[in-house]
Amino acid sequence: MFLKFESVSKAYHGIPALQGIDLDVARAEVLGLVGENGAGKSTLMKILGGVIQPDSGHVTLEGVSSNGLTIRQSQAAGIAFVHQELNLFDNLTVAANILLHREPLRGGFLRLVDEPAMARLAAPLLARLGAEFPADRSLSSLSLAERQLVEIAKALSMQARLIILDEPTSSLTATETERLLGIVRALRQDGVAVILITHRLAEVQAVADRVAVLRDGRKITELTGPQIRPDVMTRHMVGRDLAQIYRRPARPPADTLLEVDQVRTFRYPTQPITLTVRAGEIVGLAGLIGSGRSELAGTIFGLDRPLSGQIRVAGDPVPPGDPRAAMTAGVCLVPEDRKACGLIVDFSITDNFALPNLPALCRLGLVQRAKTTTLAQEQGSALDLRAAGMGQPVRSLSGGNQQKVVIGKWLARAPRVLIFDEPTRGVDVGAKGEIYGHMRRLADAGAAVLMVSSDMEEVIGVSDRVLVMHEGRIAGELTRDDLSEQSILSLAVGRGQDDLHKEKKRHIA
Amino acid sequence: MKRNRTSPLAIVALLASTLAAPAQDKKALVFVVNGASDFWKLAEAGVKKAQEELPNYDLQFKYPEQAAAAVQQRLMDDLVAAGVAAIMVSAVDPKSSTEALNRIGGQVPLFTTDSDAPDTNRVAYIGSSNTDAGMQAGEIALKAMPDGGKCIGFVGLPGADNARERIDGMKAKIAGSNVELIDVRGDDIDMTRAKRNVEDALAANPDINCMVGFYSYNPPRIYEVLKEAGKLGQITVIAFDEDPITLGGVREGSIAGTVVQQPYEWGYQGMKLMAAVLEGDMSMIPENKLVIVPTAIIDQSNVDAFEAELKQRIGG
Amino acid sequence: MTNRKNLGLLLLILAVGATVALINPRFLAPVNLSNTANLVGLFGIFAVAQAFVIISGGIELSAGSVIALLGVLFVDLIATETLSPLVCFLAMLAMGAVIGFIHGWLVARLGLQPFVVTLCGLLIYRGLARYYTEDATAGFPFGASFPTLEWITTGRILGVPNSLTAFVVLALIMGVVLHRSAYGRYLFATGRNEEAARYSGVPTARILIAAYVISGVLTAIAAVYFAMYTRSISPSSHGNFYELYAIAAAVLGGCSLRGGEGSIVGVALGVVLLQVLQNLVNLLGIPSSLNFAVMGSVILAGVLADNHFLRRRDRP
Repeated sequence: MFLKFESVSKAYHGIPALQGIDLDVARAEVLGLVGENGAGKSTLMKILGGVIQPDSGHVTLEGVSSNGLTIRQSQAAGIAFVHQELNLFDNLTVAANILLHREPLRGGFLRLVDEPAMARLAAPLLARLGAEFPADRSLSSLSLAERQLVEIAKALSMQARLIILDEPTSSLTATETERLLGIVRALRQDGVAVILITHRLAEVQAVADRVAVLRDGRKITELTGPQIRPDVMTRHMVGRDLAQIYRRPARPPADTLLEVDQVRTFRYPTQPITLTVRAGEIVGLAGLIGSGRSELAGTIFGLDRPLSGQIRVAGDPVPPGDPRAAMTAGVCLVPEDRKACGLIVDFSITDNFALPNLPALCRLGLVQRAKTTTLAQEQGSALDLRAAGMGQPVRSLSGGNQQKVVIGKWLARAPRVLIFDEPTRGVDVGAKGEIYGHMRRLADAGAAVLMVSSDMEEVIGVSDRVLVMHEGRIAGELTRDDLSEQSILSLAVGRGQDDLHKEKKRHIA
Repeated sequence: MKRNRTSPLAIVALLASTLAAPAQDKKALVFVVNGASDFWKLAEAGVKKAQEELPNYDLQFKYPEQAAAAVQQRLMDDLVAAGVAAIMVSAVDPKSSTEALNRIGGQVPLFTTDSDAPDTNRVAYIGSSNTDAGMQAGEIALKAMPDGGKCIGFVGLPGADNARERIDGMKAKIAGSNVELIDVRGDDIDMTRAKRNVEDALAANPDINCMVGFYSYNPPRIYEVLKEAGKLGQITVIAFDEDPITLGGVREGSIAGTVVQQPYEWGYQGMKLMAAVLEGDMSMIPENKLVIVPTAIIDQSNVDAFEAELKQRIGG
Repeated sequence: MTNRKNLGLLLLILAVGATVALINPRFLAPVNLSNTANLVGLFGIFAVAQAFVIISGGIELSAGSVIALLGVLFVDLIATETLSPLVCFLAMLAMGAVIGFIHGWLVARLGLQPFVVTLCGLLIYRGLARYYTEDATAGFPFGASFPTLEWITTGRILGVPNSLTAFVVLALIMGVVLHRSAYGRYLFATGRNEEAARYSGVPTARILIAAYVISGVLTAIAAVYFAMYTRSISPSSHGNFYELYAIAAAVLGGCSLRGGEGSIVGVALGVVLLQVLQNLVNLLGIPSSLNFAVMGSVILAGVLADNHFLRRRDRP
């Protein structure tokens, strides 16, 4: 055994975060670590990194047992973390990032950085990971997936023997995810142990040798082999069956509400887009990252002015390029980047709720405080928001509750067209179900819902109909009956619908 | 006050002519001041007068864009580079600029004015003796307060040489008498602070009965504060220089007197002196290299004549 | 949290005041308090102006130059063009609004950095002011009197300076705008996270421009008050560094240079502290040259104390 936790416990201010955890990791093993937010995954990883010490229990690292690790011990043993938010500098080159603070020097006391040596050291690491970019590239020109490789290369350069990947795929496309999982397998082959922490259970299924499920600070179970299935993991994670997290519409869709008519966005100026969403319908907008989905969402909401074309809500044209006009027409957007665009994280829940609704909360231009408080309480309870109070800054909420605040901003306006951009990124399973529930309720109440998502499971589970974008155009439309990961993917990578049908026929034949 | 109605086109033309100046064979003599003020307007008038009498020279008058030694230094370096024949400067910080001034002086004949830099290789100093001016201020004080008094002074930069010499000169004159100068407050040439200093001095020292404004803008601030406090006439005011408010106060009798320099003469005589030196005539420079243009006491008796002369020079 | 911050600042002011009063009881003399109040009014008006821009996430470095330019124009228009003071005053407000609009437009529409835009403004307006008067001092002639204007700007009612009254009235109005109105909410939101505000349908560009226009108009009012206080304006030095006084007051008062944070009460307290410090230097006879050092040290101490207490409270 490389690493062994024995009845490790940790409490913060008397509230237990971990209770009697037993866990081990062998060399050349991929361990999946799953659990909802707050289950104790990050506390466990902090103990592993030596950032905090357990209150009781033992940690045995390479046969040496102790009451806890220091950061130095952890690093010396070759434990490396690749976090969700990467610790990289996009103003430096790839090699400089990999070798930061361990640069080869020359020139004696001048301490000049030996650039050729940097490249020599970094190149084999990148090659081992199958990276297609040179070591002297600037990090700023790399995609998120490529940056992740840089972070892994950095870990390898420190002779890492255990790499912890924390939500590595939450921002990756399907292809990139596949590549990353390949790298995980290759690392295992080289004798490196990997702990994979993710909400994407299909990936755990694809790559993990063993899975530990945490819930409420306890290890609920360990799964191996064929037991590693998303439904089994989910059941253990939430303690109940979540088969019902996707609900079908209450009634068939009514008239067309949102019409996007020959709209060209700045991202793909040569591709006019036409689509419609009917009242009561959830339309999934799938495609690879960079296929123009978020730009389209922003354009419908008026953040960007379309180069041409028209957007209509219930037949009336919406003045372009003005979010206020879009809001007046009943269009709302739950943006992709919650912290940067969806919320003002330093502001209270109440103030965030109030921001888009101020005109209705004012008299003679002055804000009526009582009204904002009432609004916040109403939305808070309608969304089952878990917070100490409505004056709490949004920053202190969990991802799922933050996302509920973003949704709550719009509910008071009785929206007619709702656009969700990656609605459950970084949100745990339980909260996901609640958010899907809200989306469905809004649709059933007569709203048109357009959902941009890169999460296949979500697209297939939630959508009534799916449009797939490829390089700025709608590559195809899929009804519920045609929905499958494969059908979406082949449209997303640019293979036409006809190819798909042919393939299907060939299969049948 | 004069309004500037120069059109942008004229500025371009002016710039062009300045840049083209070295190409002409007229030698350029430049008067560099230490910062912008009305005081230098008089010197500029003197320079203009000298230009009429020196048609073979191109006389220029330069303001640094900031009253800082480094800025002034750069201005002079640029002038030397542009090929001027001689420079007369009122150095911002003559004490610590010896080396820099020597560098200029090593390339073109350098004259100092207003505040001297005796340790440099300057050809001569032309201007007032601030010590003499300070003594004249003391004279006014002694005459106005025969029974003695307690004075507080106001100045822009207490550490500057011209300020220190004026203060020391006054102290030397009143030494041994019943008149004393108990404190001098500085304001970094910020008029708001200058006025506030007077207000605070009045509030903090009820027994004060005399105020001295050492820089040209200080007496008007004293005058305004006393006027607002209703204490004009109760406190003896001794002034330097010839701000219109100061002269008004002198005429009215609420300011005992003011010591004026003759910047017009510095400009006029200075330029002629430089031209003479360039032509090889050193006769105007005395042994000690100090060409002193005496300062004068202006009081109620001669203020009208003085003001008329000023008007004629600036307006002329 | 803001309230506790303000309470801390108030305690600091009282502590400093008590110390000064112990050493020199004349600190509490009505005339001294009245003088200090007058300056609090003058500096307070444009500190509030600065606060609006800082809360918007920007910074206004040109305030001092604007005060010089508008001051020169105001005095000159009244003194030489004999326009009605009211017309001149309104003209200055309009100019302040235009300047603010230009800054806001460059920042919000063209996406230039506020620091760069207003730094250029600092240089441009100073230069224009100096060019306009050809570096001469703009001042009223001796004995010039504008009873109504003077009463409004420098008059006192029962010892309370009208400048302070003007400041309090403006601060109340601006306090309501900032803390109670929808505009204020939008400003805080835009200052802290412009993207999120835009995604919430806030017209961020208009909000930003409005912040700069408000700032410009308030600065124009301050410019008129300063002009009437000093009664003469030397365009090269008038208002120098004033933007830094305003920034210091705003930061002391709890404005964050990251934007989206601050209160009018805090800014007012910040201004009071700064003016008490200036007063202290004069009343305690501390050498004037130490003025800035005293101010800087107290601000640093205040910010450190604030930081310390905040950290303590944030710890669980």
